[in-house]
Amino acid sequence: MANEQLDGVNPTRMELLDLKDRAKLAQKGHSLLKEKRDALIKEFFEILERVQGSRDEVEKKLEIAYAELNKAQVDMGDMAVKRAALSVRESVELDISSRSIMGVSVPVVKSVAKENNVLTRGYGFSETSVNLDIAAKEFEECIKIIIELGEIEKTIILLASEVEATKRRVNALEHVVIPRILNTVKFIEMRLEEMERESFVRLKVIKKSMEAKEE
Amino acid sequence: MTNDIAIMADPDTVTGFMLGGIKSGFPVHDEEEARTTLKQLVDDDYSIIITTEKIGDELREDITKYTESKALPMIIEVPDKSGSHKRESDPMNELIKRVIGVEMVK
Repeated sequence: MANEQLDGVNPTRMELLDLKDRAKLAQKGHSLLKEKRDALIKEFFEILERVQGSRDEVEKKLEIAYAELNKAQVDMGDMAVKRAALSVRESVELDISSRSIMGVSVPVVKSVAKENNVLTRGYGFSETSVNLDIAAKEFEECIKIIIELGEIEKTIILLASEVEATKRRVNALEHVVIPRILNTVKFIEMRLEEMERESFVRLKVIKKSMEAKEE
Repeated sequence: MTNDIAIMADPDTVTGFMLGGIKSGFPVHDEEEARTTLKQLVDDDYSIIITTEKIGDELREDITKYTESKALPMIIEVPDKSGSHKRESDPMNELIKRVIGVEMVK
């Protein structure tokens, strides 16, 4: 690993210059990617703080909502609740756009919850009980926070995969690409010096033999 | 792209959420049905799909396939009426652990 080089490189001056440019580029890319990674991780931590609280809230709220639903089902019977549920009007409107965090586009959900009351929900009075109204209200609130939770979780998933990819790239550059280029640069430099020494010696020998001939 | 929410879960949960004002309810009874329904929902471009943790665990691979690369749909797993069950591995925590490299104890 430590002495790995690029394959198929001729020890010439042209190649040397070329490789030096490449090394410079790789190092620049490396430092940029490193900055990107750090920024992503910072974002990631900020969102992490939001997710845990959100999830607990959803769980707590849903528990209440299910309990109310249960009561309504006991009151009215399973079928009647189902019938009522089918006639409820839509309560949330979604507007989904996206924003970009370091090149990762994450969804931003704007949910407009229509405030429904007993009159506007859409089921009749005669066959429904008070508990059904309470259950409906609880579920409406749940849906609102569930949508928020979904947005946060989705953002985390997307950010996470980007963080992973960036990390891998940074590591590949740092531990494989850059050392390889530098090793090759070193190899070419040593090779060129060696060739210079060789030709120097050759000249010396020629000079000596020519002098010997003249005498 | 539609801006629609769908709920796919056991019949009782679906009833509850429909009561809360989600129009598209898809009650499912077993894993196979859930899998085909989920595929259908994704194909139909629902942007938010709510399902239960139980179904989520059964269809983990499918859900990962649908969610990991694209911004939509969001598939949100919520507890069903038996409450939040203790999972062997919470997918969120698992992911965070993989990315950060250490477990975040909360």
